[in-house]
Formats: sequence, structure tokens, C-alpha cells
Amino acid sequence: MMKQKMMNRREFFEKTAGAVAAVSALGSATDVFAVPPSNRVNLGIIGPGSRGQALMRAFLRVPGVRFAGVCDVYEPRFAQAHKITGEDTPTYKDYRQLLEAKDIDAIVVATPLSFHEEHVIASLESGRHVYGEKDMAKTVASCDTVYRAVKRTGKQYQLGTQYHYAPWFVEALRQIRAGKLGQITQIYAYWHRNNDWRRPVPNPGDQALERLINWRMYREYSGGLLAELGTHQILFALEVFGAMPVSVIGNGNIAYWKDGREVPDNVQVVYSFSAGPTLFFSSTTTNHFEGMKICVYGTGGTAVLTEAGGTLYYEPARPNSAVPKELVVEHGVVTGASFRAELPYTGPGDAIKVPEDQAGNADFLACRSFIDCVRNNRHPEADELSAWNSGVMVALGNQAIETGERIIFAQHATLPG
Amino acid sequence: MGTLFTIYLYAADSRQADADFGMAFDEIDRLDASLSNYRPNSELSRINRSAFREAVTTDPEVFEFLRRSFDYARRTDGAFDITVGPLMRAWGFFRGSGHYPSADELRQARASVGWQKVLLDDAARTVRFQVQGVELDPGGIGKGYAVDQAVSKLRESGVESALVDAGSSTIYALGAPPGKDGWPVQVPRPQDRKQSIATVLLRDNALSTSGNYEKFFKLDGRLYCHIMDPRTGAPVQGVLQTTVIVPQATDSDALSTATFVMGPGKSIKLLESFPQASGLWILGQLNAEQRVTWHWPVVIPGAKEAGGFRGSRSQAIHQSKHPSKSKPGGDSHP
Repeated sequence: MMKQKMMNRREFFEKTAGAVAAVSALGSATDVFAVPPSNRVNLGIIGPGSRGQALMRAFLRVPGVRFAGVCDVYEPRFAQAHKITGEDTPTYKDYRQLLEAKDIDAIVVATPLSFHEEHVIASLESGRHVYGEKDMAKTVASCDTVYRAVKRTGKQYQLGTQYHYAPWFVEALRQIRAGKLGQITQIYAYWHRNNDWRRPVPNPGDQALERLINWRMYREYSGGLLAELGTHQILFALEVFGAMPVSVIGNGNIAYWKDGREVPDNVQVVYSFSAGPTLFFSSTTTNHFEGMKICVYGTGGTAVLTEAGGTLYYEPARPNSAVPKELVVEHGVVTGASFRAELPYTGPGDAIKVPEDQAGNADFLACRSFIDCVRNNRHPEADELSAWNSGVMVALGNQAIETGERIIFAQHATLPG
Repeated sequence: MGTLFTIYLYAADSRQADADFGMAFDEIDRLDASLSNYRPNSELSRINRSAFREAVTTDPEVFEFLRRSFDYARRTDGAFDITVGPLMRAWGFFRGSGHYPSADELRQARASVGWQKVLLDDAARTVRFQVQGVELDPGGIGKGYAVDQAVSKLRESGVESALVDAGSSTIYALGAPPGKDGWPVQVPRPQDRKQSIATVLLRDNALSTSGNYEKFFKLDGRLYCHIMDPRTGAPVQGVLQTTVIVPQATDSDALSTATFVMGPGKSIKLLESFPQASGLWILGQLNAEQRVTWHWPVVIPGAKEAGGFRGSRSQAIHQSKHPSKSKPGGDSHP
């Protein structure tokens, strides 16, 4: 007989700052995304799992979008997908059958990382635009082949990374590029959480099902925390630094969740860029204190970005005079130096303000942007180059974690010509 | 939603329990991110920002949630109304403990409150506000919806025994603890919520309680609570607490508010349209309360059954203060 345990757990719904913006702006710009019913965009999705379902909901908030096909190897996903679409959307167990359907304009790929290469390339070659969940692919070689396929087919490819479209990230980047924080020398990025990162399996004894549902735990399919969480922050660092790193060192191990998983439950990587700056990324599944946070450190200030918003903090003015204005006498010696405790800054900052007409949920904004790219054959912001850059950084970061060696980018990756 | 959620469950081992907890709380987080009016990036906030300017397309789940919410408004003649937010703000309950509004504040708030001011287009799946200033506040139903969806996930995962609690005001009992007939749930006493007025055994049922003590202020000897009657634009008076038991938490959450506003007399017809519904009202004042029940599963000392209850709420209060003058609940029975 199985042991039964009584457990309880509590969680808060966080109240985030800011009341509901209740008043609509009369006479403001019309919605450029509004379309007549005849201009529908029909999507197909490969992999409507947890992330795929979130994307489906976000896409269905864009006027004129419907799902014309759903593909998964795990049949219970079909009923879940139907609940989301609210209709009897055609289902397929083989993605090749989905791609043979005639009424589909674009494909959303949200399968496990190791399948991205196969599914994205097949979708592109079927003549469809692709919204490909991050990362682009699992290895450097796979990123190369996907990148070449995008160029070869001429179809639009948007990397599934919502923070690229989050208004407060966009505004922070604008202010950083305008020099508000001086010269950026380091980015410290965290994605810390306190849970086992595991999803329940209806039949826990079924190992095949376990690997299917908890694919993120297994190296055959997954790039671990660096791929699933770090990519967002890596993409932002790429935008800030405007270049690829020259090397990476890494560490990762299973410190707590010794439950059969193969990927580390905590990782730390440090990317070095040629001009001098550094990106440090840390992720753990055993402590939530830092949460999801990006700290951009510049000579003039700091930007702290989270999932909900961002704040800018400015460095105190530094004495520039060679002769101190106030001399201090210590032990009879006249000196211009004085001791200042290096306490962490705890004062207020300037919240990053996003214009109301640009506010919105990052997933929705990313999906809406992709639909606009499909309708107008427009090139996405998070394009194949961003995808290749971040995909390669993740792949080589994981290589550094696994080997314990400093990985030199020039020796392992070159953007395909 | 600004609510503390608590889940109790029985599982084969801690690993399975952790996975089930994680899945259920992920579902609650997902719904909070979609339906919270505290989160500026939620889908509901997007609708609130834009739906006067243009018809806003939303996904089937959010649309169905709104349709269900407005169905309650229709069935209660507006006693339950998720557009009540501006009134809450005018009375100072949105982020404070309340104040008496000026006539101008009240007039402005009432101009933008009313479920008929929102158009839902089923075919286009769009939401449109007919007047400026309308805002959707899921406070009276969102917790229950989140509980139902979390329970649905637990069921899918094979959990047979769990209690999902949203802020202790909405509770769903999935199955029963092993060897037991149900989950014991206490209904608090309005005077002292650490004490209970009744303990009921819940099994595959939801219970919700609304009380005037959650947020209130006193002025000139009168107590003004945070539960608004959207039709009058003022806080409900003379009701201390309502508790409703029905099979779904979405319904119990909405019904506990609706029956608080409507009082027992007018609530019965509404409750009759739900299978296995029961209700408990505590009316009057703290030191002179009247208890009214309808199909309540256990005996409540001093309670009157509302089967033939036709009196208005003010009559009920009067009866409570002067019990010798008339028979509560039976005075206008046809």
C-alpha cells in the first residue's frame, strides 16, 4: 500500500504596483492590427504543451487569428488544445500531416528543444512562416542549419522570446543606448526559483511518459536552465553589448534535486565580451530570493529589470577634483581620503515608464508582432540572427558547464554565410 | 487577485505531491496573470485600457469567463456586477479602508458602472465598453474560477483528495480525506472569525463566504462595508455574512456576493437554479444577529429556514432586534 502524506503549501498572489488604467484614450491611434474578417491568419502548432498552450491563448487575442491544426505525439494535448481554441480544431499525431494541410499560413513550433531543428526546417520548407519557441536549436551545428534554412526559404522566422517585445525592456534598452547609465561594464542576470521544475505524470511508473512530459530534465532533449530560462537574459545582453562574446566559463551541478534528472538544478555561467564587459547568469531551483532579475551595471547607474517592470538607479556623484574640498585629520595626518562604507544602495529609483498605448503583456505583443510580420511579410525583431546568436551562446555555455573548460567562441561557431 | 491560496492534498509520495502542487499553483499563477486587475500586463487590464476605444479581441477562455460573469449580472438583475470597480474606488475601498464619497464622486462612478454598458460579441469574440471609464473587476468571481481550474488540473493528474482554499473565503473540497466522509470546513462567526458558527463536511462541493468585516468604515454610527449594491451605488447594509455551498467554486464565489447583496428573500429563486445549493445568512447587527438558512446541511442554532422567506432585508433586521413582534421568515408566506 502506498504511503499517503498530508501536505500543505501556500503562495501569494502578488499585488503589483499600479492601479488599473481605467480610462481609455479617446481619439488615439487606431489599432494597426485590426483586420477585416477576410484577412484571417490560420496557424498550426506543433507541440501544444504547457508553453505551446500559453502561446495559443496569446495568439487568439490577436484579431483575425485562428488555429487550423494542432499536432502532438501525446494525445491528451488535443482535448486541452480544443478547450483553448473553443472549437474542434483538426488534430495530427504526425507533424508532416499538419504541414500537408492547405489552409495554414504559419506554424508555431513549441516542441522540446532537441526537435526544434527538424520541426522548424520542415515548416519553413513547407512554405510557412515560423514562430519558433526558443532556443533556435540545441547545438551550434543545428543552429547553423536552421539559420541556413531561414535564408534559403525566404520565409519569416521569429524566435519565441517574449521579453524582446516587453515594453519596459524596450524602453530600458533605449535609455541604456542613450547613455543614461554611462558605460555598461557588467550584466548580472538571475532566474532563481524554488520548485522542482517537474511536471506531474499521470502514470508515474511510465518512464517513456515521464521523459516525454518532463523532457526538460533530460539531456537528450533539453539544454537545462541555461536554455529554458537564460536565453531571455542572454538576448537582452546581446542587445546591450551589440556583439557576441569571445569566451564563456560555466559551472553546474545537481545540488538538491537528486531525483533522477540529468540537467543541473543550478547553473552559473560567465560570458566575456571583447570590449571588456561581462555577462554573469545564475539560475537555481532551490531558492527564490533573487527571482527573475537582470541588473545592468554602468559607470553612471544601474537598471534592474524584472518580469513586471524596471527601475533605473543612478550612481552618486563622484568627486572629480584632485584636491578634496574638505580635509580630514586622522591621527594628526592631514589627508584627503575618508572612509565610506560600501553599503548596498537602498534608496529610491526611477521606475521605467511605458506609454499607455505601448503597454501590454509581453507574450501578446510578441505574438501580435509575428502576425503582423506574416500579414505584411515583414522581418521580425527577434529574427534568425538574434536566434542564432542566443542559441549559440546557450549551446557553448552548456558546453562550458559540461566540460569545465573555458570555451572560445571563435573556435566553435561562425555565423553561416 | 491579491489572495492567499492554500492547497492540501493526499499523494503517494512527496515527489508526486510537489509535482501536483507545482501544477496547481502554476495554473493559479497563469489565471492571475490573465485575469488580475492589479497586474497592468494582464489580459483583463489590456481589455480595461482599450475596450472603450475599440472592440478588443480576447481568447476563448477569457471571453467565456466574462460571458459567465455577465450571465450572473443578468440573473441577479445587476446585484452581482463585475463593473463595480469605480464604485469601490469612489467609496475608498480600492486601496484603502473606505470613506464617504462626495456627490460628484458618486455620480461619476455610477455613470461608468453597469453590466449593460459592456458589449460581448460572441461571433467576433470581442469586448467593447459603451461608455468611458468602465472597468472590469473580477474580485467577486475570479478566485472561484481559479480554484475550479486548479481543481480540474488536480483531477487530470489523478488526485482524488484535496482541499483548495482561496483566501479562506472560497474553498473547494475534492473528494474526501482517506477514510472520511468529507473535508471539515468551518464557517466563521462574524463577531470573531477565529470561532465557527458551523462545521460542514464538504465533498466535491465548494463553499464561499462573504462578510462585511473584510473592509469597512463607520460614520455616524453606521457601518459601511466594501460590498456594493451596484444598483444603488452604496454599500449593502444590514447583512453581516453570507455563505453558499454549490458544486462549483466559480458559482459559490459569485453567489456569496450576489446573495449578500440580494438578501435571503430574493436569493432563493437564484439558488433554486443551482443543484444542491445551500445558503446561510447572518443578518442584522453584531449584538442582535438573525440567522437564516436555506437547505443548509447542518443545524444552525437559532436559525430560521428561508423556504418561505419573502420579507425584505430591512424587515429581517427589524425582526432580529425585536424578535417578539413577528415570526422571521414566515410573515409573508403566501
